Amino acid sequence: MVGEKKRRVGFVGCPPAEVLGAHRSAELIDLDNMIEGTQPHGESLLPRTTCRIIRRVLDNALSLDLDEIIVDEGYGKCDAARGLAELLGDLLDVPVIRTQNDSREGVGTPISDSDLPLLRKIELILDGLVNPQETELTPEPKPRAAMWGVPAADFSIYELFPDGTQVLGWTRCVENRTPADWELEMYVPEGVPTVFFAQTFCPKNVVAQHLAEKHRGLHVDVDSVLSQPVRAKIEAFLRFRRAWD
Amino acid sequence: MAVLGDFGTTWTKLVDTETGERRVIPTREAAARGQRADIATGHNARRWAARHVNELIALTQGGQRLIEERELLVLDVGSRDVKYVHVRDGELLGMDWTATCGALTGFTLELLGNYYGIDYTTVRPSAKSVPVTCGVLGMEQLFELVSQGVPIEEAVARFARGIAMNAYRFIGEPKEFYLSGGMCENRLFQGSFPEDVEVRPLGRFVLVEGLIPELTKNGRAAK
Repeated sequence: MVGEKKRRVGFVGCPPAEVLGAHRSAELIDLDNMIEGTQPHGESLLPRTTCRIIRRVLDNALSLDLDEIIVDEGYGKCDAARGLAELLGDLLDVPVIRTQNDSREGVGTPISDSDLPLLRKIELILDGLVNPQETELTPEPKPRAAMWGVPAADFSIYELFPDGTQVLGWTRCVENRTPADWELEMYVPEGVPTVFFAQTFCPKNVVAQHLAEKHRGLHVDVDSVLSQPVRAKIEAFLRFRRAWD
Repeated sequence: MAVLGDFGTTWTKLVDTETGERRVIPTREAAARGQRADIATGHNARRWAARHVNELIALTQGGQRLIEERELLVLDVGSRDVKYVHVRDGELLGMDWTATCGALTGFTLELLGNYYGIDYTTVRPSAKSVPVTCGVLGMEQLFELVSQGVPIEEAVARFARGIAMNAYRFIGEPKEFYLSGGMCENRLFQGSFPEDVEVRPLGRFVLVEGLIPELTKNGRAAK
């Protein structure tokens, strides 16, 4: 109907394609992303040891006037996301659709493997959940570095890496639309200097640290803003592992 | 000719590559006089230098210039943070830098020395320690000891032991390591590590030394 307000549907994680597809006529909002103007309404509702992304999802959900929320709480998500779905259902007077994306039918990872700057790759991967990507991509045959992990709360971390840095870990799984594909998440090419990243308090730090040891990489965790010590560690690691040569 | 600087939170270390002159001045004095450097590292370096090199890179390169061994582990204890690098055969095996746990430890030790008028060359290290999660929490423990009747010098020695043990665990409890930074001049701190551990002081200019290779990268010859 002319003049009818477009429905606003928020989503968490990487819900199944068919679930998101059924809501394409609505304004789809990725609640994991930073949204300008959102207020920290949820600060007192979560334990201090909650990761920044879960905090952000709650703040976004409480700040935006949503009509519906879709939460991927499958194997690819953590207990915190499942708990958050419960919390949102109790707090808000909107339907919370709990869904599980356990797909193994990958759509490929051309962005992760392209020659683009790392920051642009992450933007394209996340934006791709809402808008199908049509960017022209050129593969990077010899990535000088790789970054494993989940999308960071502070995107400035991505600016520390050389162009063409390969995207690994859960972010790669998101591009592939298989967020629960553990085998793909564990994929680390040999010989590429790799930074293993997880948000502070995220359980993925266990495997991030282990993989860093196993592959002679660097493990870092960041809560909200990238600190000077973590920035320095990444810069030193990439420099002494000759990622810039 | 170039001026190289390590602009720390409390102290600024400067080297003039032309004359070889080395100076240590309070950072607040450096700020007041508008001290500049061509290349610098340290907490305040971005404010006063044309070019900034991060502290871990400076520490690694400084260690490699000063130590002629195939393996080196250098711990730098600053006013506000603790960091280390571990290199073997030119390859960086490990590094870390904490400005949260262990924060303000060096600063607090200096503060306590001035407050109580303690000469750290005469204080005997203690076998006991206080838990020093950070400088502020550690100081709370220290004042508690003093209020219980523990002599001030013993309480401060336990505090120093707490800082030393934190730093020692932070670097993985090696049998020997090199020490960099202002704590190289604090005999109590150096004596507060476990007895069977060899602590080799490198002095306060390790990070500035690590800036020298940057001169050639800048198109100028290193002296």
